[in-house]
Amino acid sequence: MAMNIRYVARETGTNLRRNLSLTLASVVTVAVSLTLFGAALVFAQGVGNMTARWKGGIEFIVFMQPSATQEQLDSVRTALEENPEVSQVSYIDKAAAYEEFKQLFSRSKDMIEAVDESAMPPSFRVAPSMSDADVIQALGQAFQKKAGVREVVFAFETVRTMQRITRIASIVIVAVAVFLLVAAVLLILNTIRMAMFARRREIEVMKLVGATNWFIRVPFMIEGLVHGIAGAAVAIVGVQGLNWAFNRGLSNNRDLKIFQGFVISGSQMSFTTLLLIGLGCLIGALGSGIAVSRFLDV
Amino acid sequence: MIKLENVTKIYKGDVPALRDANVNIDKGEFVFLVGASGSGKSTFIRLLNKEEEPTRGRIFVAGKDIGSLNGWKVPYLRRNIGYVFQDFKLLPNKTVFENVAFALEVIGRPSHVIKSQVPAILELVGLTTKVDSFPGELSGGEQQRVSVARAFVNRPLILLADEPTGNLDPATSVGIMRLLDRINRTGTTVVMATHDRGIVDTMRRRVIELDKGHIVRDQSRGVYE
Repeated sequence: MAMNIRYVARETGTNLRRNLSLTLASVVTVAVSLTLFGAALVFAQGVGNMTARWKGGIEFIVFMQPSATQEQLDSVRTALEENPEVSQVSYIDKAAAYEEFKQLFSRSKDMIEAVDESAMPPSFRVAPSMSDADVIQALGQAFQKKAGVREVVFAFETVRTMQRITRIASIVIVAVAVFLLVAAVLLILNTIRMAMFARRREIEVMKLVGATNWFIRVPFMIEGLVHGIAGAAVAIVGVQGLNWAFNRGLSNNRDLKIFQGFVISGSQMSFTTLLLIGLGCLIGALGSGIAVSRFLDV
Repeated sequence: MIKLENVTKIYKGDVPALRDANVNIDKGEFVFLVGASGSGKSTFIRLLNKEEEPTRGRIFVAGKDIGSLNGWKVPYLRRNIGYVFQDFKLLPNKTVFENVAFALEVIGRPSHVIKSQVPAILELVGLTTKVDSFPGELSGGEQQRVSVARAFVNRPLILLADEPTGNLDPATSVGIMRLLDRINRTGTTVVMATHDRGIVDTMRRRVIELDKGHIVRDQSRGVYE
């Protein structure tokens, strides 16, 4: 079939311009739904990276009493260092703990003034050699009863909570995104239908002079694809922007220390980008395909 | 060129629009379809173009049984059939040139063909000076000439005309009929549905008269009644 590219480009361009407000509505809906989708994906990837990092050396922290004696500290340290199930121990003394405290509460000066270095609990950060959660739990609990120990905190729990919150958040975000994707398909369908209605005289003439069905359909299908791809392009910019803003927020805000490991690799970002473009094409093709097959009586 | 075998067309729940029609039209013939409104003239024409399917019977166009034609082949059938309407069906936002060019463009003709064919056909219909006018700026007769040019620019074997002079005054109609006659003399088969007694009586061509879907008269060199 001879298909004049200039003809198709011209017809598609005319359609896009004629229904500018509907075209914008379609593009914006695609963009918003894909941005949500992409953000949920990037967030899940980030948390995945973060928890993967903790998996390599799951930590628990043995907090000592601020009043713990040097003997008590030494005894805990020796016990940890000699334990074959512990691969690495690092000691955070009162001064280091106070530094962290000051960073953590940098926004509330009175809090920092109310507490001095001597009130800080020194702590041991422990990387066990095993990754079995139960073994780590038992190991940590064993130190709970030692003299001078105030509390044992497992990073493990934090990670689990993180993962759970992320999972729920992702499901909610993706559910909203899917609703928006359906709305986008319907909007594109309606936009294409309007375009076909606006061109019904041309379509009638085309049919009577013997234009093939595909010749009549293609400009409308391309119009739908343009909606989808334009929306995806906006979404890609949006997701990159969110990622950038989030990381910037992290580096400026010590309250979000828990997200320290939140890094998206380049290949993960490329994957997300490709996925969004693919979804955009799919949405556009679906919307215009339904419109063309249902409403274009060729 | 055109053959109808026992063709009956019944629209949904309605009285038959065409009943058991048998017609044979040779290449190069000029045929008038006459009859009152609702007698089946338009149905006859729409069946030839495969805009409608017959309820019963077989229709041959250019030797092919169009009833057995696949849906995707219909456009290629229509490229052999020019179609002129009572209401012209021109595209108001395109110039005369563009309206005619559109018919070639949408069947994939290359632009150099369009650039040579369109001026030639516009010369044939006598619109050389109106090439860049829009349909709204033309008289009814001129618009119908554009419509004829569009129908004939692809040099079809058959030209179907459904009341082409229905919206025109008698003097203008004569001009259109001269044009159709000229096209017919190039070997194109012309089938024209009309109410216009004067035209039929002047032209003295074959006349097929329909009454409530029946063919009641088929006469060569006939008159309206």
